[in-house]
Amino acid sequence: MLLQQLVNGLTLGAVYTLIALSFSLVMGILGVLNLAIAELFMLGGFFGFAVIAAQLPLPLAILAGMVGAALVAVIVEKIGYQPLRDAPVVTPMLSTLGFSIIFQNVATNIWGSDPLQLTDEVLATRFTLGPVSISAMQITVLGATVMLVALLAFVVQRTSIGRALRAVAENRDVARLLGVSADRVTLLAFMLSGALAGAAGVLIGLHYAAITPYIGVEIGLKAIAVMVIGGTTRIWGALVAGPLIGIAEVMTVAYGGSQVRDFVVYGFMIVILLLRPQGILGGSGADQGQRV
Amino acid sequence: MISVYYAGLLADVGILLLGALSVYIILATGQLSLGNAGFMGIGAYLTSYLTVVVGVPITLALILAAAASGIVGTVVGFPALRLKGIYLAIATLGFGEMVRSFFLNFDTMGGSGGFHGMKHISVGYIWAWAAGILILVVLLERSRVWLEMRAVHDDETAAGLVGLNPTTIKVGAFSFGAAVAAISGGLFAHHHVYIEPGNFGFERSIDFVLAVILGGSTVGPGALVGSFLLVLLPEYLRFLADWRLAAFGVLLIGMLLVRRQGILDRSLFNALAFRRAS
Amino acid sequence: MALSWIRTVCVAVAGGALATFAAVDSGAAQNAPEIVLGAVVPSSGPFAEWGRANTATLQMLEKQVNDAGGINGAKLRIVILDDAAKPALAANNVRKLAGDDKVLAIAGPLTSSAAEVAFPVANTMKVVSTSQASSKPGVAKLNRPWAFRNTIDEGVLGRTTIPYFKKAFNIKTVAIIFDAKDATAATVGSKIMPALMKENDIKVLNESDPLSFNTGDLDVSAQVTKLKSLNPDGVVVSADYSQGVTVIREMKRQGLIKPVVGATQLISSAILKAAPEIPIVAPATFYATMKGERPEKFVKDLQPILRKTNGLPPEIEPSMYDANIYEIVSMYIDAIKKTGVTGKPGDLEADRTKIRDHLAKLVGFQGLGGPIGFNDDGDAIKAFYIVQGQNGVWESKVRGCSTAPGHPGC
Repeated sequence: MLLQQLVNGLTLGAVYTLIALSFSLVMGILGVLNLAIAELFMLGGFFGFAVIAAQLPLPLAILAGMVGAALVAVIVEKIGYQPLRDAPVVTPMLSTLGFSIIFQNVATNIWGSDPLQLTDEVLATRFTLGPVSISAMQITVLGATVMLVALLAFVVQRTSIGRALRAVAENRDVARLLGVSADRVTLLAFMLSGALAGAAGVLIGLHYAAITPYIGVEIGLKAIAVMVIGGTTRIWGALVAGPLIGIAEVMTVAYGGSQVRDFVVYGFMIVILLLRPQGILGGSGADQGQRV
Repeated sequence: MISVYYAGLLADVGILLLGALSVYIILATGQLSLGNAGFMGIGAYLTSYLTVVVGVPITLALILAAAASGIVGTVVGFPALRLKGIYLAIATLGFGEMVRSFFLNFDTMGGSGGFHGMKHISVGYIWAWAAGILILVVLLERSRVWLEMRAVHDDETAAGLVGLNPTTIKVGAFSFGAAVAAISGGLFAHHHVYIEPGNFGFERSIDFVLAVILGGSTVGPGALVGSFLLVLLPEYLRFLADWRLAAFGVLLIGMLLVRRQGILDRSLFNALAFRRAS
Repeated sequence: MALSWIRTVCVAVAGGALATFAAVDSGAAQNAPEIVLGAVVPSSGPFAEWGRANTATLQMLEKQVNDAGGINGAKLRIVILDDAAKPALAANNVRKLAGDDKVLAIAGPLTSSAAEVAFPVANTMKVVSTSQASSKPGVAKLNRPWAFRNTIDEGVLGRTTIPYFKKAFNIKTVAIIFDAKDATAATVGSKIMPALMKENDIKVLNESDPLSFNTGDLDVSAQVTKLKSLNPDGVVVSADYSQGVTVIREMKRQGLIKPVVGATQLISSAILKAAPEIPIVAPATFYATMKGERPEKFVKDLQPILRKTNGLPPEIEPSMYDANIYEIVSMYIDAIKKTGVTGKPGDLEADRTKIRDHLAKLVGFQGLGGPIGFNDDGDAIKAFYIVQGQNGVWESKVRGCSTAPGHPGC
């Protein structure tokens, strides 16, 4: 059972990694907690479902989820973040909360509150390697997570766009003085994080094959914990922290009690915040938050 | 004579007001707490235990619960010193979830089945506490202690250099806020005569913050305005039927865009109080 | 000056607020006699579908009654308020319906969490409130005499469900998994089911090690892997069907194809789609494909309306909650007709008491699934069916009745 639980933990970890990364893209660069990301994840899932239900192939579903969520993220940025850029950090956070309320309502009105289910699961073939059973979809999710993280790391660390992102994260005003269009960069950050959340939504939604407008709520909160544990501004940190927390959660359920699961995850998060606030892979302790 | 319906709404406003004030007090020292529903839960369960199981009269039970919650607030306040801004907010969020998870497993007080047996209290009693604490906060705002809190809020280092003790002030704020939130919880428990862990989750903590931010985050009575808004809006938006929640989201965003300090700010407050702006 | 303008505005606002709060009895004398009933349903939030379907059901009933001439010549009006499944809103809705709209009786609230808080209010305001879905043990019992529930206590239902389950699948061992955040599911999963298993000599393999998840969880793979490792003959899934879907799909994914048993919370069309090859056994008082003249007519009338309603999915079918609320309001109408309720403002208190007494003594009211009455706890005495869902359909296997001592049966 242990090995199977590890696989379960890794899959759960992949979910957390992708969403944590979405959070950290915006948080690391703009210092804002974008609470609407959980709903971008949810919407991505619904977009993906719609494509699959129309008998179109999986890559198209993923694309639809990413593009759809990115577009919605643009709306959030333009209305919810841009005008509130210079306000204390709690204000844009609450604004994104307003958006998440709206998206949940819209999704409920379009698709209903009962779970939307896929009749035939996508990539459902299962592979049995000894005591472990894993489905093709799960392998896709794990593989896609690693690929997306690597892609994101490449963009941030090796491209000029990435340099611009890092410059704005470091110091917005100086970046602008140096010719970086901070507004464009901010929009890009939102779009990237939206696309990531949307991809996560499609992949994960299709894996579990049953979604509701409220799937983002619980997962979103845990993903914030994962982001913190991995190190808010560390991309590879999310890749480490995600599976770490996923496995910790799974092991708590398997060997401890499923009742104390939340307690363990949030407790761990608080311990990390207190002892090593820059996260597991964090660099210097300079990631101090701005005044609220 | 006020209708029972409006009396019920007023009771909800009073309870929310106390929760909002608990956030406001802590916010005044520059700390955002997203976990005050945890303190509210502690207050609710402890007060209920005292009145139902031990037989303590409600007022004494509330005071005891507030004191206990204040101690928890102090315990939370110390590690909170190490965190700033959004990181502190996230940590308090984690704290709130942990408290909720605790009560979910705490079978002595019902666990997920909830707890019954409380005696109903009147709207008047709720407002005796709510108004009392609101007045206390308003008075506090005119005192030296508040100046010290604002100094810590604006620039902690400078405050330290001037001889203030940011530690005492910040931890003290957490403590006081926790006590006020506990009273909110105790009153909630005795107004609804039934509590369950789900009442004290992230959504509740966010309600407190919303009331402060929307109503006015720079003056105490802003929490009052915000509480009225949050309780009355869902009632008045009924006509929107299927789109009620979305409309609330739109209003929230709109308010933040148009007047980000909230409805009530210092100059408006002074004008309303027929006082010259100081 | 700006200051005097501000003052004027303030006085105006204060005046407006005062006017709002001085709730005058605005029940302007109705020219035509009216019978007003109330309903509290969750039309927004996580159970929006149930609330909207309930609303459509009640609107259909209202129209049917009025087209047939009303109640003793008076028009029926049902005031439906949304509580978004939030307890505080539900309580306020009861206050509004009873105090301001002056309804004769209230159908709802739907969820147990809301009922726990709304029922005490109904008791204080002395108006009947009957829940269409709450099945957490004891909710109505604590709030007599004005609280009722058109549902059966899960403990009573389990007493018929489990023996059938045991016999049909030769069950000697089970493992239990439940939704820890849902009060009803948690009570059923951690107290009622283990006790029932003991009564039926079925061993609970994870007795000392309860397995649970939280409402809203997307991933239950760890729990299901653990279930699988225990190798039980059957699995108890105690959760609302939305969550049940998640668990059963994971069971299918991991190859744990074992029969599942649960409470009424599982009954739905959605769960039949989760894993058609896994048999699901649960008690139901109504399901969309039920046979019989009354249920079939009900479905025939309601289904097209539901499918055309905004905000409801096109393949929706009438649910147990729709049937329950239809029965509740029908019972109120029956009470009104039989006890000489006048509907006049002066007789409000007397009318409400008449309805309460009629319900308390109710025997043999023709519901959709059989005759209905109420026991001393306020829960329904009605027929129920142990149904088995497999390959996309529910099949009725056993008929039971929630009889109570001192009351006639079904």
